[in-house]
Amino acid sequence: MASSSKTEQKKMLILKSSEEEEFEIEESIAVQSGTIKNMVEDDFTLIPLPNVDTETLIKIIKYMKKHGEKTKSNEKDIEEFDKEFVKKSFTELKELVLAANYLHITSLIDLLCQAFADRIKNKSVKAIREIFGIPNDFTPEEEAEVYEQHKWAHEEGKEHIDHSAY
Amino acid sequence: MEVLAMLRQLIGQVKQLLELHAASSSSSNISFHPQTPPLLHLPRFYFLNRDENSAEDSCFNIIMTAGKSENLKMLEPGKPPPKKKARKERNRGEVTGTSHSIENLDQQIWKEFPEDLIEAVVARLPIATFFRFRLVCHKWNSMLTSQSFSEQCAQVPQPQPWFYTITHENVNTGAMYDPTLKKWHHPTIPALPTKLIVLPVASAGGLVCFLDIGHRSFYVCNPLTRSFKELPARSVKVWSRVAVGITLCGKSASEGYNILWVGCDGEFEVYNSRNNSWDRPGTMSSNIKLPLALNFKSQTVSIGSKLYFMRSDPDGIVSYDMVTGVWKQFIIPAPLHLSDHTLAECGGRIMLVGLLTKNAATCVCIWELQKMTLLWKEVDRMPNIWCLEFYGKHVRMTCLGNKGLLMLSLRSRQMNRLVTYDFSTGKWMKVPGCILPRGRKRQWIACGTAFHPCLTAVA
Repeated sequence: MASSSKTEQKKMLILKSSEEEEFEIEESIAVQSGTIKNMVEDDFTLIPLPNVDTETLIKIIKYMKKHGEKTKSNEKDIEEFDKEFVKKSFTELKELVLAANYLHITSLIDLLCQAFADRIKNKSVKAIREIFGIPNDFTPEEEAEVYEQHKWAHEEGKEHIDHSAY
Repeated sequence: MEVLAMLRQLIGQVKQLLELHAASSSSSNISFHPQTPPLLHLPRFYFLNRDENSAEDSCFNIIMTAGKSENLKMLEPGKPPPKKKARKERNRGEVTGTSHSIENLDQQIWKEFPEDLIEAVVARLPIATFFRFRLVCHKWNSMLTSQSFSEQCAQVPQPQPWFYTITHENVNTGAMYDPTLKKWHHPTIPALPTKLIVLPVASAGGLVCFLDIGHRSFYVCNPLTRSFKELPARSVKVWSRVAVGITLCGKSASEGYNILWVGCDGEFEVYNSRNNSWDRPGTMSSNIKLPLALNFKSQTVSIGSKLYFMRSDPDGIVSYDMVTGVWKQFIIPAPLHLSDHTLAECGGRIMLVGLLTKNAATCVCIWELQKMTLLWKEVDRMPNIWCLEFYGKHVRMTCLGNKGLLMLSLRSRQMNRLVTYDFSTGKWMKVPGCILPRGRKRQWIACGTAFHPCLTAVA
């Protein structure tokens, strides 16, 4: 008896967001996430993700699907996708990187961290403190000393410093 | 007067509490018991003057300190409650005034950003930005010495090399060139002690090896962080000119590095950073023709654990393998009319760069070594229009960096042109003049070496 199915039955998983919404996804694509891969090895097919909200999960699934179909020929296409993918607000990026970190998707973590770095690289020190909620624990003397050590980094390109905290 | 009544009620409740826990020695550690309902009705107004810097907003914290005897002073009616001291004395400088307003609630969420993610982001910042951000707080300032940060940096793909150069005028301070931003950096505090006159001779893993002008002592330094070390004295007594190469033992400088010097008489020594000592791992094999006419103007090439030096008479290359300790010689005929040449490398391929002078025309040419035939094959030339600048002039060329991205200084009597050539893209770029901050004159670059900027490499 020949098996007559034209398409191979691909193993599907269900991912459940923190808001209890469920999404079906091929296992072969979902295992780009180290966390999901571990759970699959423990025989889970319904994967609860209490740390990831629906909106973020949708974006992550989109990323995994795109990167799941990576071949030698569509590298440029994927680069374009990645470029567009990081064009999001600060808050969205933050949610995404926390989720990617939790899900252990290395390529996405690298992509997002690089995007963050590019977003904040021209910001002033004060803006960085505001963004990360870090109080200044330098005394004025200590600050002057650290400033002097790398004066060249501060002086050059002063015109391009961005003081906004978003 | 309602307030007075509430206060009196409070006094009563607290007294009750103290009686309940009279046995506990330290009055500051009263735990919250759900069975004592009076405590649940503690009015909020009581604690309005909490420390502005406190991030803890919960009632529990307040209840815990209620037992402290000094707080009972707050219960005197008629007097306003004094400012509550935070339990942990926190040394905070300026307060970010925005931290408690509602529209900045979003920013409060940033505090949950895990440390390893912050390090992953910071490791991907441009070098100059990293140094600016050291001012954010003490923790960011000390990232340079953090093991986890060092590991993050190692995972970020290698950027283009920078160039550490010495200018003719200020022989003791270096000027660093960043080819991605096309910027010169002039560190205010020199990487090296100012009394030394040293020349950069080799680099690996973010560390630059210097040799003093009398060929006596070696120094290793990370130009970005000024981590600096003088190597122990060598065992030779005669300070003749040597060629130098450096290789890493592993993937990064933290796993150790080896430095080799070799002289024309075939004498050589290897420094091992893990033992901090020089060794003589043997004598040069007899197949290497001596005297070894080393080309001292050529920069050394290091690929993996092997070092390659240029020699003449006969023309060719000698190589040394740091792991096996074996010297090899390759006889390779040099192109005609060649001068001021140097070895370079790109992605494991050995290249030759030099001036070709025919009649009055001078051009910079690039050759690649064909390993099968041991011949140089021309692969590129500097654009003609640039070469015309040197027509009829006596030009000298110095290589300022030969790792993947080549930097050349072309000098004639009246000018000094700096160019870079990217082996992988074949692009020639002009380098902006090196001008000191608040200066106008373009500096003349004497010599230099390429180095891969690495924040965490320690000499």
